[in-house]
Amino acid sequence: MESIYLLKYGELSLKGANRFRFEKLLCTNIKKKLDGLDFELIRKQGRIYLRAGEKDHSQIVNALSKTFGLVAFSEALKVDKDMSKIEEAAICLAQKLLHKSREDSSPIKDNNLPCSQTSYKIEARRSDKSFPLNSYEIACRLGNVLCSHFQELKVNLNRPDWIINVEVRDAAYLYGPLTRAPGGLPLGCSGKGLLLLSGGIDSPVAGYFMGKRGLNIHAVYFHTPPFTSEKAREKVEHLADILSAYLTGIALHVVPFTEIQARIKERSKNKEITLLMRACMMRISGIIARNTGSICLITGESLGQVASQTTESLRFTGSMADMLVFRPLIGLDKEEIIRWAKKIETFETSILPFEDCCTLFTPPHPLINPNYERMVQAFNDLQADELIAGAVQDTRVIQF
Amino acid sequence: MSSIYLDWAATVPPDIEVLEQVKEMSAAHFGNPSSIHRAGREAEKILNESRRILSSALGCLAEEILFTSGGTESNNMVLFSLIRRGSGKKVILSGIEHASVYQPAMSLTNFGYTVKIIKADNSGLLDPARIEVELDKQTALVAVMLVNNETGNIQPVSDIAEVLKSFYRRTGIRIPLHTDAVQGFCKIPFNPVSLGVDSASLSAHKIGGPRGVGALFVRKGSSYPFLYTGGGQEHGQRPGTENLPGIYGFALAAEKKIKNIESDLKSVTELTGALISEIEGIKGAIILPQCRRNKINTAFSPYILKVAFPPIPGEVLVRVLEEEGFLISTGSACSSKKKRRFRVLGQMGISDTLAFSAVRISLGRDTGHENLSRFAKVLKEKIPGLMKIAG
Repeated sequence: MESIYLLKYGELSLKGANRFRFEKLLCTNIKKKLDGLDFELIRKQGRIYLRAGEKDHSQIVNALSKTFGLVAFSEALKVDKDMSKIEEAAICLAQKLLHKSREDSSPIKDNNLPCSQTSYKIEARRSDKSFPLNSYEIACRLGNVLCSHFQELKVNLNRPDWIINVEVRDAAYLYGPLTRAPGGLPLGCSGKGLLLLSGGIDSPVAGYFMGKRGLNIHAVYFHTPPFTSEKAREKVEHLADILSAYLTGIALHVVPFTEIQARIKERSKNKEITLLMRACMMRISGIIARNTGSICLITGESLGQVASQTTESLRFTGSMADMLVFRPLIGLDKEEIIRWAKKIETFETSILPFEDCCTLFTPPHPLINPNYERMVQAFNDLQADELIAGAVQDTRVIQF
Repeated sequence: MSSIYLDWAATVPPDIEVLEQVKEMSAAHFGNPSSIHRAGREAEKILNESRRILSSALGCLAEEILFTSGGTESNNMVLFSLIRRGSGKKVILSGIEHASVYQPAMSLTNFGYTVKIIKADNSGLLDPARIEVELDKQTALVAVMLVNNETGNIQPVSDIAEVLKSFYRRTGIRIPLHTDAVQGFCKIPFNPVSLGVDSASLSAHKIGGPRGVGALFVRKGSSYPFLYTGGGQEHGQRPGTENLPGIYGFALAAEKKIKNIESDLKSVTELTGALISEIEGIKGAIILPQCRRNKINTAFSPYILKVAFPPIPGEVLVRVLEEEGFLISTGSACSSKKKRRFRVLGQMGISDTLAFSAVRISLGRDTGHENLSRFAKVLKEKIPGLMKIAG
């Protein structure tokens, strides 16, 4: 009996002739994530198996649950295609699951209380049709064995507490509940994009979404000392670090933006400041993206969320990048974005009180419906080309 | 680049001599003062001697000192002891108290207490008459700080003690008075006994001693039923093995400071006076509270100066000055999304807009005229440019 991780991928299996390429990329990404651990990755019959030592279990679970392209995984018991060995493995697996469910229940336990019953269901699949028992017969046999072996287990085919899966393929694989992974496509299959990462709630979620669609992601942050603090920059670095667990590393481009911000404040109308800052950021991001091989920008904008994210505002700021801009959150409301931010564990960092823009540069009544031509003129009036080139030149890259 | 430190109210650079003495003592006398063997007895001697030194610096009895982990713990001990006291369910405190008084007091509302907050006037001072009208038989404690940690206002604690005495004479009800003296001890003349308080909180690191140690003065005859149990240390009122190195360092720092208190006060008063003159010459500068315009003002501790250059956010000014090699502080945050409330300054009638721009400059004896002149020069250079951006 051998313990092995069984990895499941969702939409990759729908790919046609390219499927092999996607699977290979997924395996490369997993190898990168597990770098430094002792493991073996096996691709066989449309499945990926991972063989690794028990000591690395928590690191492996953490890495796989953040791997784009995988939908789920589980630690499985692999045995020969022999019914007695399969029965033995089923007992072993049930024991493990019972032990885990006891551990997961309330830490304050009264050992005198009888254990409540746990319900289960066996789901058997037999892709090797030469195996003497069919799927239904396998399930019945194992159901009988488990019920007679464990008093606390009972069968429930409709709403079981757990499902014990049995797959008879090149060998027999038995596994319990699956751990969910993010799904999507393997990182890197869709090219490379540059994420505008602020310290807020939205942009990390946008980065996650586009990583999930296979974009390799770099990030850019606009730093404005002394108007924003080092703590604000550290917060963004921390967000990049959290994202890097999903994105298998991330390069953060820190752009010195203070001089440009001061120029905008000096030369433009108060109500246009926010839009012009966004425009300059898009322009700089476009340049950095082109310089570093990215083919698109990613922003956390959501239609109508703030003045700079109205349709007219987005038309203007987006046009300044001269590049494809992905806005994966465009149709989500704040509550939905917050739910995702909590799920990917960036929320608690995003709400730290270190703002990415000083109040001096946030007009009380910013433009909501800007005139496109007027804003382009205002942008040109800044005469900021030299400052923009300087900011790009002085950009510092931090690798996570 | 070495920086000029102007944040002495946050903490004070350690006294190197004291550090050395603490190091030597810690190695030589590591025993637990509660142990009955020789090492323990030696440690106990040092503990007693430290208590004696500190009590002498305060002008109180040694038995009136409880060593604690610092000002925050001392304040919390006093406030939360009310839970065990039972009688009286009302606490009166000034609205300008440090968070370590204000927040425990607010927590007491969960235990059925009402908290009466007394505002300061526009000069940052508490009017004892405002406290007097709030006193009743339900009042379990009055807490008023000695020196405000943001503006340096010296509060009329002695007058408030008189008010409480007079209430006692009239009604026979004795209400204890607590003062947070963390920013006053060893900086302005302070004797808790003659001041008439029942308890006072002190902190070592604000006077050049070590972190993690402080004291609570509890006047003989006053008693607070503190919540701690589990050991006999500090008369059983603050049990736990004593932080002897910290306590020893605290006593040594206090001993050194108290010797020079008058001369230090004089020289820092001159320093601050000169700085106020320089700052008043900068267009747009506002000294807070605004009554503190005259250079020598005995209603303020000269060690602390609050100033604003609206609309420059205080936090931005702190960072600009840091780049120039000067470390000052602010309690405000440059937040574009949330409107912050500024409790302490608000309680002095200072608007949130002005408070948002406020910075605190706090000095020590070692600050020196030359450093302050350089500081004032940099302020004069930087403020106009920032005003232009901010305007």
